[in-house]
Amino acid sequence: MNTENILLFKSNIKTASDKFAVERILDIHPHIEQWTVDQQDEDCVLRVISPRLTHNHVIDMVKGCGYHCEELKD
Amino acid sequence: MRVRNEEKVQLVKQKAMEMVVSDGFEGFSVNKLARACGISVATLYIYYKDKDDLITAVALEEAKRMGEITLGDFDPELSFAEGLRKQWENRSKYILENPVASAFFEQLRTSTYQDKVMECIICDFKAKMGTFMQKAIKNKEVDAMPLEVYWSVAYAPLYSLLRFHHEGRSLGGKPFVLNEDIMWRTFDLVVKALTPSR
Repeated sequence: MNTENILLFKSNIKTASDKFAVERILDIHPHIEQWTVDQQDEDCVLRVISPRLTHNHVIDMVKGCGYHCEELKD
Repeated sequence: MRVRNEEKVQLVKQKAMEMVVSDGFEGFSVNKLARACGISVATLYIYYKDKDDLITAVALEEAKRMGEITLGDFDPELSFAEGLRKQWENRSKYILENPVASAFFEQLRTSTYQDKVMECIICDFKAKMGTFMQKAIKNKEVDAMPLEVYWSVAYAPLYSLLRFHHEGRSLGGKPFVLNEDIMWRTFDLVVKALTPSR
C-alpha cells in the first residue's frame, strides 16, 4: 500500500443523502481509485486514494457539492 | 512513505479491544481510539478505511492468534480424551491470559461483525477438528452427534468455569477461583459423559 496516495479530510458528509450528493462526483472521477467516508466518526473522515490528485483538488470538488471539507492533518 | 511501527499497531489493537469491551461497538470511534493511543486520527485512517474496517481487521488478527494458540500444538492423531484435554488446556490458557480479547470476542458474537470474523475462525478449526473427530468416531471413542450437542457437553462446562472465574463468583455470588483440580475434575466428567457405553 502506497500511503502517499491516501488523502484524508474532515468533512460534514454525515447522512446517506450527503454521501449520495458527493458520490455522483467522486465515483466517476478518473483519478480517484477508491474513496470512503466514515459516517460513524465525529469528523466524518473522507478517505480518497488517488496517485494524482492533491488535497486542494478534492476540497474544491466536495465544497462544490455544498459540503465542508478540510485536510485532516497528522 | 510513512513507516508502520509494529509497537503502535499492537497498541492500537489492544486499545481498540479495550474500548469495545468498555463502551460497546456503539461507543467506539476512530477519534476516541486515536486519543486513547496518543496518535493522530490521520495515522489511523491511513491504515483503516473506517470504524468497521478497523474493528474487523483487529478481530481477524486476534482470531488468527487465538486459532494459533488453540490449534498450534494440537495433534489430530491424539486419542479422543488426550486431544480434548489438550483443547481444554489451550482454550483455558488463551482465555486466562487474554481476558480483554476474550471479552471482545464475547461482544463480537452478538454483533454484525460476527459473520466475517467467525468464518475465519471456523474454517481453520473445521479442518483440524474434523480429522480429529472423524478418527475418534471411527475408533468408537465417541458417538456421532450434532455439533451443538457435542459442543454443549465437550466445551460449554469449561467456558462456564472460566466465566465464573472472570466474574470472581459462581452461583449465588459465592466467591470462585478456578484451579487445576476443579478444571480437571470437570474434564473427567465430560469425558465420562462422552464415552459411549459398552
